[in-house]
Amino acid sequence: MDPKPTRRPGELAFTIFLAAASLGLLWSAYGIAGFEALSSPGAVPMATTAIMVVSALVVLFETLRRPAGRIQTLRRDILPPAVIVTIAMIALYALLLRPLGFIPTSLLFLTAMIWFLSRRGLLFCLGVAFGTVLLIWLIFRMVFSVLMPPGIVPEGRIVAFLMSLF
Amino acid sequence: MDILPNLLMPLTHLDLLALIAAGTFAGIYVGAIPGLSVTMAVSILISFTFSWDVYPALALMIGIYMGGVYGGSRTAILLNIPGAPSAIATALDGFPLAQKGRAGEAIGIVTVVSFIGGFIGIFALAGLAPVLSDFALRFQPRDFMLLAIMGILLVGSLSGGSLTKGVFAGALGIGIGAVGMDPLTVQDRFVFGLDELRGGISFVAVMIGMFGVSEALMQLHNVHTPAVRQKIDGIVPSWAKVRKHLPLGLQSSAIGTVVGALPGTGGDIASLMAYDQAKRVTRNPETPFGEGAVEGLVAPEAANNAAVGGAFIPMMTLGIPGDAVTAIMIGALFIHGLNPGPMLMIEQPNMFWFIVGSLALANCFMLLFGLTGIRLFVKVVELPRTILLPVILVLSIVGAYAINNSLTDVYWMLGFGVLGYFMRLYGYPLAPVILGVILSRLLDDNWRRAIISTREDFGAMLMGIFTSPLSLTLLLAVVMILVTNSPWWARWRGR
Repeated sequence: MDPKPTRRPGELAFTIFLAAASLGLLWSAYGIAGFEALSSPGAVPMATTAIMVVSALVVLFETLRRPAGRIQTLRRDILPPAVIVTIAMIALYALLLRPLGFIPTSLLFLTAMIWFLSRRGLLFCLGVAFGTVLLIWLIFRMVFSVLMPPGIVPEGRIVAFLMSLF
Repeated sequence: MDILPNLLMPLTHLDLLALIAAGTFAGIYVGAIPGLSVTMAVSILISFTFSWDVYPALALMIGIYMGGVYGGSRTAILLNIPGAPSAIATALDGFPLAQKGRAGEAIGIVTVVSFIGGFIGIFALAGLAPVLSDFALRFQPRDFMLLAIMGILLVGSLSGGSLTKGVFAGALGIGIGAVGMDPLTVQDRFVFGLDELRGGISFVAVMIGMFGVSEALMQLHNVHTPAVRQKIDGIVPSWAKVRKHLPLGLQSSAIGTVVGALPGTGGDIASLMAYDQAKRVTRNPETPFGEGAVEGLVAPEAANNAAVGGAFIPMMTLGIPGDAVTAIMIGALFIHGLNPGPMLMIEQPNMFWFIVGSLALANCFMLLFGLTGIRLFVKVVELPRTILLPVILVLSIVGAYAINNSLTDVYWMLGFGVLGYFMRLYGYPLAPVILGVILSRLLDDNWRRAIISTREDFGAMLMGIFTSPLSLTLLLAVVMILVTNSPWWARWRGR
């Protein structure tokens, strides 16, 4: 016989969060036009958020029926340090992107992330990060013409210099 | 309208030709490298190509799509890690073959049947889409509404997990798509007093977050998995071998095309169904299924590549995506000011024939690149994830920022990335979210059109559904999906 399915760590909290958020969204959808008309701008949002509430509650009921698992842990299987650090690093990247610019921020992000994940020498990480940023910058700035925040790097002058070579 | 010039356009314009070739080449690697997916690549790519003309942007995306579906088989065979969900069935027999030292043979036959399957799907697209789009002109708003609901439910139910979670994910997507000012009444919806939300949430940021960031975060769980090296030689298969497996390849291609053409399904379901069918029809395989049967490779690979052409059928004729990648393609067409659906087929048939030509060309490049460059391929696949994942994250951030040159989109991407990560961990499918976001507007517009046409009389609208054979069929399909996925149905079947 199959063992009874168990709840993963944090699953109940996540399901409660989804149910609560769905209820909040249903209230917000009701606030758009109430029960004014079936063709009102709030009709579809109300219907979809009502479906969210019902399905979230069904999932919550199913989750509550399952016993908590004992093999998995929150720290190892759900939110290991690598995931937490990565999320924090992305947020930090977004914060620094405007003031520092794309090239320095990406260089810092890649060096730190590669070092953190691979534990290789700092020089190796810096070298890989430098090569990658250069490649990404060349492809996206020169080929795709994507404008990224220049920040402290005189990007305009670099592009003008590169263009003068051809 | 001249079909031929548009069909041959990708071949006669060198820039388009080069983009399709580059896209297919990159797609094979994207599909093959575990941790990268075609959906992820195409969603990131949209943000970089939206300033381009629509033709080169589509050429690149089509190449990546075609190459990526095929590329997923490579790592399934070599490492037992399907590079894409559509290659899950391929690993079942591909890896045992590789373990027996026959990886080259497996890759060779997979490449050829993928090429054959790809062309069957493209022929079906070219032959059926114009007919279907004429038929689709008869669709009432209520039919489009029912079709959108059917697509979201189908993808939710076929994602493998619970239908309730699939329904939640689809509804969440529709809700996200409704954020911002209502286009008809300019009334705020889910704005919470924030000006940034008035323009809505960029679906590209949602896609990059859900498919790019969340996938990268998941990969962090097994970042130190060592690469497995395989010896590969003798890739090009003999004609006798191809001829032997041709009937099964054609049969599986037909399955792939039909399943791919169902709204909301895609290559992953097509390949599993074809694999199952191959097991039933192959009487005496040389090697048993699951231990390295060549038939177990032929069926899923012919089917998943045929599903590419199939998935474009509902996209081009109805504006309903066939799978997650075509959902993103619809988004790309919207960004370029085009509205996929029957009217696009009538007003701009050149676009349709260009897509058919590009798919055919990408399929040819897939055969060429598939049978060559294996040494380089093995090196790239061995790239450690400790380097690959940070690079994916930088590309995701750059992609999200480039949509509107706005950091708000980066924060949205991160938010949806974290949400997508937890959803994946707890068994919620993500494809219905994206389908919901894309179809939100279509659903909302058509619901309002349908109910206004009956002067707000819901009973009259229901009567309209019950008296129209098409609407009734669609409604029954929706009910069937719900019933067959309910626990009561499972209990009844179990008796």
